[in-house]
Amino acid sequence: MSALSGAWAVCVKDATEELRRKVAIVSVFFFAATAVTLVSFAMVGALALPPADRPPLQAALLWIILFFAAATGLPRAFVAEEESGTGLALRKTIPAVVVLAGKTLFNFLLFLAMAAVTIPGFLILLDWKAGSAGAVAATLLAGGFGLAVVSTFLSALVARAGQRHVLFVLIAFPLLLPLLQAAIAATIEAAAGAFPSAPLKVLVAYDGAAACGAYMLAGVAWED
Amino acid sequence: MKALKFLLLPYMAAVIAAAFLWPEPAQGFIGESSRIVFFHVPCAWTSTLAFLVAAAYSAAYLRTRNPWHDDVAAAAVRIGLLFGVLTLITGSLFANIMWGSWWNWDPRESSYLLLVFLYAAYLFLRSAVEDPDRRPRVAAAYALFAVVLMPFLTFVAPRITASLHPQTVINPQGKILMDTPTRAVFFGALAGFSGLFLWMLSIEARTRRLARTGPISRTGRTSP
Repeated sequence: MSALSGAWAVCVKDATEELRRKVAIVSVFFFAATAVTLVSFAMVGALALPPADRPPLQAALLWIILFFAAATGLPRAFVAEEESGTGLALRKTIPAVVVLAGKTLFNFLLFLAMAAVTIPGFLILLDWKAGSAGAVAATLLAGGFGLAVVSTFLSALVARAGQRHVLFVLIAFPLLLPLLQAAIAATIEAAAGAFPSAPLKVLVAYDGAAACGAYMLAGVAWED
Repeated sequence: MKALKFLLLPYMAAVIAAAFLWPEPAQGFIGESSRIVFFHVPCAWTSTLAFLVAAAYSAAYLRTRNPWHDDVAAAAVRIGLLFGVLTLITGSLFANIMWGSWWNWDPRESSYLLLVFLYAAYLFLRSAVEDPDRRPRVAAAYALFAVVLMPFLTFVAPRITASLHPQTVINPQGKILMDTPTRAVFFGALAGFSGLFLWMLSIEARTRRLARTGPISRTGRTSP
């Protein structure tokens, strides 16, 4: 089995398991939908702002929702293997890098599905104007990939630690903040109809650095 | 290391005295507030140096599996955090004098706070992994992953949005904007703080080794 087909097999396995269990994956989407609804209530009431002042706040809120929705779902990648007792079998049969690649791919697809739920909610409930749809899509792809890479790698690190769910948020937030900051800056520019070349460059650089780091350290993080 | 200890005392005393007495206060700053540069920047430099040392020793641990390297890495992070907190405190003192508020959410302040969180998370992660064989490996992987993403926090994130922070030593002009006495005291302080770090690192790492192995008698035997 080549590395690519192995990674794809891990991704399909995770998707099948999550779809079979349903509760975990539905809770991620439910969290995203609830958060958008709550934010829209707040924006209409207490946070009512003139239309010109809204884009930065909307961009920040969008990425905060995506981050916390991701934090409920993405760390499950390796944690679920340990909880179900399948981690050892996976470690013995597939190289760590391939497992990491497969789980990252699944998390990336999960993020995109989550964004597909959140963005229409934002457009409708918060009257958000996605000025340049292509730029918004590029930002989501670049931001989502970085979020998936870092979350998956950290999931491997905390999989066998105590208090792993709290620990994940503690260690993920400072590592992901530069990505979130660049993604918010890119979203503000994209919403204004411009192509956010500078923040996108930062996102791509961050994605590259995180992917290289995760690739180099995958074995250390996951294997015995 | 003993020689360093005895050299440091008069050297640091001389640096502190010079910092208050020799250079004239810089123009464009309120009162004597510019003198904080002799303490604030060396603290920031020392914490960054400590985190780099932690990464180097983490890499060494993963290569050799020598527990002494893990002791040094963990000690470096603890000392780096101490200097990181001192950086935040000295920065906050300066901010209150110059900008009228202890904390301004300036991008550089915020990114440094997150850097402190990033390495505080290292300590959380260490304490959450109960398996003593796995703990140094997970900690080393995290320290290396963190150092890959650290430049985004220290160099990229503060430059995405406008900052109140005075120009840093690493500035777009590529010049050190200081007169000769200021430059002499500044680099003297950098050297002194680096020496102080080495001395503290030696003590902390040896303390960790003692905690791991138990007291060593004069004959070199470890007590039970």
